[in-house]
Amino acid sequence: MKRFFSGSLIIFCFLLIILPTSSEGKVYGGTVIYAAGADPDRLDPANAESNPAEAVNRMMYENLVKFDEKLRIVPGLATSWEQAKDGLTWTFHLRKGVKFHDGTPFNAEAVRVFIERMIGPEKPSRAGLYVPFVKSVEVVDDYTIKINLKTPFAFFLNNLAHSASGIVSPTALKTYGKDIARRACGTGPFKFVEWIHGDHLTMVRNDDYWGGKPYLDKIIVKTVKEDSARVMMLQSGDAHLIVRIPAEDIPRLEKDAKIKLDSTETLRTLYIGINCSKKPFTDVRVRQALNYAVDKEAIVQSIYQGRALVASGIVAPLATGYFPVKGYPYDPEKAKKLLAEAGYPKGFKAKLWSPHGRYPKDFELAQAVQQQLKKVGVDCTLDTMEWAAYLAATRKPVKENESELFLLGWAPSTAEARWILYPLYTTEQWVPQGNNRSFFSNKEFDELVNKFTRATNKTEMDKYLKEAQELLVKEAPSIFLLVTKETIGYSQKLKGVINSPLELTYFDHQTYLEK
Amino acid sequence: MWRYVWKRILMLLPVLFGVSLISFSLLHLVPGDPAEILAGEEANPEFIKALRQEYGLDQPLYLQYFHFLSHIVRGDFGISIRNREPVINLLKERFLFTVQLSFISILIAGLIGLLAGIISSTKQYSLFDHISMLGALLGISMPIFWFGLLLMLVFSVYLRWFPAGGTGTIFHLILPAIALGASGSAVIARMTRASMLEVIRQDYIRTARANGLREFIVIHKHALKNAMIPVVTVFGLEFGYMLGGAVLTETVFSLPGIGRLMVEGIFQRDYPIVQGAMLLVATTFVLVNLLTDIAYAFFDPKIRYE
Repeated sequence: MKRFFSGSLIIFCFLLIILPTSSEGKVYGGTVIYAAGADPDRLDPANAESNPAEAVNRMMYENLVKFDEKLRIVPGLATSWEQAKDGLTWTFHLRKGVKFHDGTPFNAEAVRVFIERMIGPEKPSRAGLYVPFVKSVEVVDDYTIKINLKTPFAFFLNNLAHSASGIVSPTALKTYGKDIARRACGTGPFKFVEWIHGDHLTMVRNDDYWGGKPYLDKIIVKTVKEDSARVMMLQSGDAHLIVRIPAEDIPRLEKDAKIKLDSTETLRTLYIGINCSKKPFTDVRVRQALNYAVDKEAIVQSIYQGRALVASGIVAPLATGYFPVKGYPYDPEKAKKLLAEAGYPKGFKAKLWSPHGRYPKDFELAQAVQQQLKKVGVDCTLDTMEWAAYLAATRKPVKENESELFLLGWAPSTAEARWILYPLYTTEQWVPQGNNRSFFSNKEFDELVNKFTRATNKTEMDKYLKEAQELLVKEAPSIFLLVTKETIGYSQKLKGVINSPLELTYFDHQTYLEK
Repeated sequence: MWRYVWKRILMLLPVLFGVSLISFSLLHLVPGDPAEILAGEEANPEFIKALRQEYGLDQPLYLQYFHFLSHIVRGDFGISIRNREPVINLLKERFLFTVQLSFISILIAGLIGLLAGIISSTKQYSLFDHISMLGALLGISMPIFWFGLLLMLVFSVYLRWFPAGGTGTIFHLILPAIALGASGSAVIARMTRASMLEVIRQDYIRTARANGLREFIVIHKHALKNAMIPVVTVFGLEFGYMLGGAVLTETVFSLPGIGRLMVEGIFQRDYPIVQGAMLLVATTFVLVNLLTDIAYAFFDPKIRYE
C-alpha cells in the first residue's frame, strides 16, 4: 500500500512537470500563425500608419493607458493618473519593475523621451496627436511623470492609448534612431525576432513580462495578400488566424466546425463625401435630399448580408463621445420635394467617385448609391481610381478640386468623436492642410468642436458633443451610409484573441493555443 | 566570342539608362504622393512635408533624377519610403527567391514541354499528340491566378499534400512552380513540336534514316539539335519573364518575389523600390537574352559571334 502511494506520488509529480497546463486550464506553448492581408509598414509606433503594423506593435509595445474591448480607458504602463482642476496638468504614476526587451528599465525618463520625441523636431508621422496639445513634460521622480498641456483637452487619454503612443526603449531609440522602424523594442508580452518584408514577421514570448509569462511561445505573422488564399490557409490548417474575410466566403467557413468566426462592429463609417463648395451642393436642401434618397437598410442587407450597421451620422456608435442622432430615413419622395424646392425639380447630373478594393465592397456600394440617386433624378457618372490617385485627387485645394461626390471611410484611430468631427468637417481642416475633403464650413460647428475639445467637465463636454453631432446631421455635408464590421476567423483551439473595434486583431499574454 | 559578350554587356549601359529614365518619368507622372499613401486618410500635412524633404521629393524633378543616377552608379539604391529598409537588401532577398522559383518552374516547363513536344512530333496525329496539344492549349489559356487557386484548393485544402502558400521549405515552392511552369511548358511543347516537324521532313533526316541509323539517334542527335534554335529562344524568353517576377503567382501563393515587390512598390509610390527593381529586372532580362544568343552557337555551329 505504501509503495502504491509513493509510486502514485512520483507519477503525479512527473505529470505536473511534463504537462504544461496552468491552473486555469490554459496551456503554455505553441506557435501561432497569423495571416494578415498586408505587410506592416513600420515597427516604430510613432511612425506606423498601417493596421498590420499597429496590430503587431500592440503585441510588442505598451502604452501608459490602453483600451479595453469596449474601448474604455484602463491602466497600462501607468497604474493611476490625475488631471489637475484646470485640465492643464496630467500626473501619471508608473508601473514598477517593468523592463524593455533590451533590458532598459521602464521609468519616468523613458516616458519623457517618448513625449519629447513626439513634440520635438523629429516630427514623427503621428506627432499630430501631441503637438497641438502638449506643452512640456516633467519627471517628478523615477515613477511619476507630469505632462503639461497647452489647453485643456478632453480626449488626451485616448491619444495616449493610440497605437502610436506605444513606448519605445530610449536606449534602442538612441542606438537605432529612425531605423527602429525595422526592429521593435518595447515592453510588450512579445519580443521582436525577425521581419522578412513581404513574407513574415516573427515574435517570441517575453519571459520577463510584468503581467506574467505569456502562454504562446511564438507568433508568426504572415503577409497573405490574396483573400481566397488566406481563407484556404485557414481551412488547410496552414494558418491559425486570418483577418479580412471576404463576405462571400463567410457562409462556407461558418459550416466548418474547426473554425470560429468573429464579427466585430468597427469604428469605420463609410460615407459619400459631398463637395460643399460646388453648386448645386452648396444648398443644404440638395445635400439633405441626397441623404433621403439612399436606402441604407437595403444596402446593408443586400451588399453586406447584414454584416454592417446603418449609420445615422458620421460618428460610429462605439466611439467615445457618440450620441445617437436622428439620421435620414429612406424617403425618395421627400428627396424629390427638397430638390424641387432647391430649384432642381428634374434633378441634375453629377460625378460620383469611388475607390475599388480599399474598403469592403466599396465599388458595389457606390454602384448601389448611383442607382438609388438616379431614382430621384440625380444622374451620376461613376468613376473609380487607383487608391493613391484617389487620395491625391480628393486632396487637391478647393480651386483645383474636381470632386463632387466621393466615397470614403473614416475610422478614428483614437476611438473618440473629436478625431472624426474635427479633421473631417472643421474649416481649418480643409484639404490639403487637413482632411476636410468636403470643404464644409460652418462657424457654429467649428465653435462647438472647439468647445467640447477644451471642456474640463463631462456635462459641458457631452452637451457640446451632442449639439455638434446633431448640427452635422442637419447640415448633411456627407451622405452617411454605414458602419462596417470586421470578420476574422480562427482555429477553435486558439483562445483569447483580441478583435478590437479599431480593426486591429492581436494577442496578449493571456492568449493560448489548446493542444 | 568574348569580344562579342563584352560588347553586349556594354550595351547594357544605354539600356539601363533608358529604363531608369522611363521608369523615373512614369512614376512621377502618375498622381499620388508616397507620404500621403503612407499616412492614408488620416494624413498629417506636417509629416508629409517632412517626408518629402527627407526623400528629396520637394526638389525639381531633374535634380531628383540626377541624385538618383549619381547614387545608383555608386551602388546606392536608397532606402524604402514605406519601411525604411535599404532597397538593396530588399532586392537581394526578393531576387534570390525569384531565382529559386524560376529555376524550378523552368525545369518543370522545360522537362514537360520538351518531352511532350518531341513525342508529339514523332507520333503526329496519334492519341498522345492530340492529348498533349490539348493540354498545351489549356496551359496557355488558363488564367494563372485561377489555376493557382485551383491547385491550392485541391492539393492544400482537400488533399493536404502541400502547404497553401508561404515559404520555408521546398514543398512551399512546388505548387507555385507548377502554376508558373504550366504556361511555359505549353509554349515550349508547341514550339518543339512545330520545329521538330519541320526538321524531320528535311532531306538530311531522310538520308540519316536511309543510312540505317536507329530512329532514336535520328531524332535525338540529328533532328533535335537542329530544331532547338526556336525552342531555345522561347525558353530564354520564358525564363526571362519568370525572373522578372511572376506577380500573379506570387500574389496567389503569398511569395516574397521581385514581382510583388515591384507592384506593391508602385501602389505605395515607393519610388526607390520601384526604380531599383526595374533596373534589376531589366539587367536580368538583357543577360538572359545574351545567354540565349550564346546558346544558339552551341546548337548551330554555323552561328559565330566574331
